[in-house]
Amino acid sequence: MSWLFVLLQQLKQFVVPLLVLVFLGRGDRNQLWSLIAVGGFVVVALWRYLTFRYRITADSVVIDSGLLERSRRQVPFSRIHNVAIHQSLLHRLFGVAEVRLESAGGDKPEAQMRVLQLDDAIALEALVRRRGAAVAPATVAAETMAPADKTEGRVLLALPPAEVLRLGLISNRGMIVVGGAAVAFSQLNPQLPDDVSDRWSHGLEAFFGNLHFSYGQYALAILAALLGFAVLLRVFSVALALLQYWGFRLEEHGRRLTVERGLLTRLRTSAPRRRIQSWTLRESVLHRWFGRRTLDIDSAVAENGNQRRGLRELAPIATAAACDTLVRHLLPGAAWPPERWQPLHPRAWWRLSLPGAVVALVLAAALCWRLGAWGLAALAWLPWAVFVARQHARRAGYAIDDRLVAARSGWWSRRWRFAELDKLQALELRQSPLDRSLGMATLWLDTAGAASGPLRLRYLPLAQAQALRARLGREVARRPLRW
Amino acid sequence: MSEPNPTADATPAPDDWQALPARARTLFVGSTALGFALAATVAVVVLCLGARPSWLSWLLPACVLPAAAFGAWLGWRRYRHTRWLLDGDGFGLRRGRLWFSDTRVPGSRVQHLDIRRGPLERHFRLATLVIHTAGTRHSEVSVSGLDAADAERLRDHLARQTDDDDDAGD
Repeated sequence: MSWLFVLLQQLKQFVVPLLVLVFLGRGDRNQLWSLIAVGGFVVVALWRYLTFRYRITADSVVIDSGLLERSRRQVPFSRIHNVAIHQSLLHRLFGVAEVRLESAGGDKPEAQMRVLQLDDAIALEALVRRRGAAVAPATVAAETMAPADKTEGRVLLALPPAEVLRLGLISNRGMIVVGGAAVAFSQLNPQLPDDVSDRWSHGLEAFFGNLHFSYGQYALAILAALLGFAVLLRVFSVALALLQYWGFRLEEHGRRLTVERGLLTRLRTSAPRRRIQSWTLRESVLHRWFGRRTLDIDSAVAENGNQRRGLRELAPIATAAACDTLVRHLLPGAAWPPERWQPLHPRAWWRLSLPGAVVALVLAAALCWRLGAWGLAALAWLPWAVFVARQHARRAGYAIDDRLVAARSGWWSRRWRFAELDKLQALELRQSPLDRSLGMATLWLDTAGAASGPLRLRYLPLAQAQALRARLGREVARRPLRW
Repeated sequence: MSEPNPTADATPAPDDWQALPARARTLFVGSTALGFALAATVAVVVLCLGARPSWLSWLLPACVLPAAAFGAWLGWRRYRHTRWLLDGDGFGLRRGRLWFSDTRVPGSRVQHLDIRRGPLERHFRLATLVIHTAGTRHSEVSVSGLDAADAERLRDHLARQTDDDDDAGD
């Protein structure tokens, strides 16, 4: 049956040209061509199916593949950072799944089994879990004594439908749909936007011309349109969240974490706990209204565009207490949240308000040039920028102990970014001319697979930054890299 | 809290930080000057595409020479403010004065090392050392204009450190 899925995969890439061939090429000769193309794909798919073999040895997965050029790939269990089981609707109809084994870095999966029976896929995942544990370094051997072989894991977080609904309301995923629709629209029919906007404006003119709206009514109409758009956005967001996060479950199987989610397409990814490179906790204004936060992790599995291949979301949505409990559970012995946050440089607010101030000044200058003295109104932005910067600086800070280093930032949208000292890579202390004049510096702490942005301690007093750099440098050099 | 001169204050023992060899200065100054001169030439030619050719004859030197001089000055500064360090913790690199950066690669985080030598670098007995880590932003720290012997010594030393904890890479 595998050849069917390979075929579909290939057809997906050629679906547009094929449709064009079938529907636009009105003539017997052209239809023949499309048939030949499909026939060709079937042959290639069958060939792939017949030449793909995988087997399990004591410590690795060996994959033989290739049409004309044969290749053999050996993936040691201990190098597999992430196992992803993907089931589209079609897969589910046939009771099969696609399995991807990911190692650190690299821009494509280490191994990809297009179609396995679901039982086999789960068995393979369990095998990787067990064997990976068996060859892991001795330091983590103690953890593997925990019930690692049980297929039934411990549920750390499950999202009931109500939570998924909240997630939809908080997230801005609807923008993806709107943006995608706009792009598709303009791609399919380049002359359409002009055409449509012309027709619409004519229609609107006729409509409003007849009704003779006053200014207030115009404003009301625009407001209603904006409100409608916002509601539509939320509806899309909720729909997407339901599709993607329905039945979200975070489970712990011994040392491994497994996430399962999806309404139609089911996704199941699993990665060992110690592969987590860094953590991000987020809280936007909407999050705060609902009393929720989002907990993400970075793993060393490379992100490829918008295709999320590794384990990424530990808690798409959860209460602050639940997030903290989860962190404490997964980082035993770490003090989270830190008891004391160190403040930034006393004049950090000055530095933070600078971009806003520059924008306000440039805007005011530009408006003055066009509108005269009225442009000075833009300067009203200045106090607001300063206020926001002061709030931000007051809340921002960093914390460090012998296990974790953490930075928090933001005022409206808050962010906590933290990592274990073991997982830090290169360290960099940086100073711009402005930083130097204020006697501050920023410390960049690099981690592997930092997709959520760098971990940086911004605008510290210079002496503190230097002391921290020296301390962290010593600590990191002392600790062997275990990823 | 503010300290007037971070470069001086940050140094634990000033002689630990190594400067690049004097031979590298020619390379730094020359390459940056050439880069700026080329950029200026292209800019002038593109901007004056419609103008009379006689203009170019004086406009070109008038723009390119200052650009080259500026480039030379920048290259010289870049050379002067680059310092490296090898200590028990790993490798350190300092760059710039206006835009100061101090990068440390702990020895235990070095993944692999490259030495690159272009024809010009070979002529001056220089080399570029590239240190790779598993990180994201600083996954590649490269130091150009190192003395060739120094570069090899650095590579061997850092490579030995990665060998020590190779078993932990699994």
